[in-house]
Amino acid sequence: MEILRNLWRRKVRTILTVSGIVMGIFALTTMGSLAEHFNVLLGGGITYYGGSIQVTDDRSSGSFGAGAMSLTTLGEIQDVNGVRAAGPNVSLTAKPGSVSAVNFGVPDYIMNYDKTTTDNSPFKISLASGSFPSASSRFEVTLGSTFAAEFKKHVGDTIYLPVRPTDATADFVNHPFKVIGVLGQTLTAPDNGAYVSLHDAQMLLGESLPAALRASVNPYQLITGVVVYGKPGANLDTLATRITAEVSGVKATKPSVMVSSFKSGGAIFTFMTTAAALLALIIGGLSVVNTMIMSVSERTREIGLKKAIGAKTRNILSEFVAESTVMGLLGGIIGFLLGVLMTWLLNSGDPSGGLFLITPRLTLIALIFAIALGAGAGVLPAMRAARMDPVTALRAQ
Amino acid sequence: MATIQTLGLSKTYGKGESTVKALDGVNVTIEQGEFVAIVGRSGSGKTTMLDCMGLLMRPTSGVITLDGIDARTLNDRQRAELRSRHIGFIFQEFNLLPTMTAMENILLPLRYSGGDRKAARTRAEGFLEEVGLAQRARHRPTQMSGGEQQRIAIARSLINEPTLVLGDEPMGEVDTDTANALLGFMRRINAERGVTFVIVTHDLDLAARTDRVIRLRDGHVISDGRPSAQAAPQAAA
Repeated sequence: MEILRNLWRRKVRTILTVSGIVMGIFALTTMGSLAEHFNVLLGGGITYYGGSIQVTDDRSSGSFGAGAMSLTTLGEIQDVNGVRAAGPNVSLTAKPGSVSAVNFGVPDYIMNYDKTTTDNSPFKISLASGSFPSASSRFEVTLGSTFAAEFKKHVGDTIYLPVRPTDATADFVNHPFKVIGVLGQTLTAPDNGAYVSLHDAQMLLGESLPAALRASVNPYQLITGVVVYGKPGANLDTLATRITAEVSGVKATKPSVMVSSFKSGGAIFTFMTTAAALLALIIGGLSVVNTMIMSVSERTREIGLKKAIGAKTRNILSEFVAESTVMGLLGGIIGFLLGVLMTWLLNSGDPSGGLFLITPRLTLIALIFAIALGAGAGVLPAMRAARMDPVTALRAQ
Repeated sequence: MATIQTLGLSKTYGKGESTVKALDGVNVTIEQGEFVAIVGRSGSGKTTMLDCMGLLMRPTSGVITLDGIDARTLNDRQRAELRSRHIGFIFQEFNLLPTMTAMENILLPLRYSGGDRKAARTRAEGFLEEVGLAQRARHRPTQMSGGEQQRIAIARSLINEPTLVLGDEPMGEVDTDTANALLGFMRRINAERGVTFVIVTHDLDLAARTDRVIRLRDGHVISDGRPSAQAAPQAAA
């Protein structure tokens, strides 16, 4: 209580100081929540891609938007020594031709639901409601949580896939799909997926091909990739090299390459959070130091009195550090709440669920950082106070 | 046992040509339960002597013992410990903390001595009653007169039940009537509880109402005895 009273003695100064910390923690919270969102997203990618091998046509460069390859390749891959399971992958964009100026996340996509792949994957997805499409199902879809929220779809609703772009060409085709399930939120790629049977995914893939090609290919023999799982103990990088060498026309990406690519992406966001933290440190820290130095100067006689009546060095030190810590805590709480409010406002305006994720970890980091900032910045002025000679302090004007 | 004993107590400020000897070989013994006034002109060394007795300042040379403890053997923490448990301080400008109520100011020393807070609160209420400020317990210093503030300061000096109370011009900021009332209160505490009081003062009328007056000049004790035996009042500023 006395701490708050002391801080309130100089209202304007305290408010300005706390405002400095508020700004810093606000920046840390918003930047941090952005980083948390991407770290979860990338973490899911690391789990998924780190435990499997993505095999694509050797002319394509990755998983999403990969070029088509023959379904017969799947059998050849399954025969490679060290392969435990391999599942077909057919993926295509759910919003063809959509113009997205900036997309920080995974774009909405349509993919076949393959039980082999799901069962073997270290990245587990679960249903919030309904069921997954079976191999024989037609025009049925299970939506990722973000996909479902974006289009406000629930089990039993109908959604047209792919989503018709506003500037759709005359030959654009889409179909009504019955929503039979919605996935639980994963905060990563599956949230943006629409899962259909292999047959339906191949049909949609065929329809997405250029008109000149459609007549010449059988879409039900096309896949965009194969997901491979190795036998227990198998080195997946070695297995990827073996698949590329033994199966012609395909390229198996080493999991370690995928993982390091995700990690380097994560480093950017870690840098952003660190930069925000530094900003908080500089703005908040300096204002606390300044305020506490002034406070110590103004309260010299009080320090002298306390020392005279028996306060030890550590008593004075802890009293002043407690004051600066309270300023840090106040600034931390207000800055964090403002950050939460801001991210909530930004997320609520984003149909895909938003880019900001407040996690318990971020909450702890923001508050502990604010407290440590206040305490740390208060130590130097507090030491100055604690070391004062009582007689000199008592005689101060 | 003597409460305070000084032997060859000296304190020098500054270095070289600017050296000032505030105390020069002071030998004084103050017994338990005495009520002593230290008088002298400005710069005679009386406040320095009080600071040394209160363990707020280390002498340049000489010995000072409190309740038989040689202060030279004590480190800063031990000196603070001794101050908090055995010495009460009263200052000319009261030095009450403006953010605290009267009751909180009185109880402040408990924070550092770690005494029984409940018992101290009862004592504080008793003091407030005694000095006629029971209704002012929740008032802040800015809501009180100088005399009332000094009464609170005296109560604060007594809260840890010290054996020694040191006052530096405790009546310097109050009018004569209030000074008389404050002195009366201190004398009663001295008589009833045996607490030793040593006060520095310019007021020779006030000094005349103590048990003993120690007169200082240029850091030396020039007289020490009962007030009636003291020389003319021109020694005081």
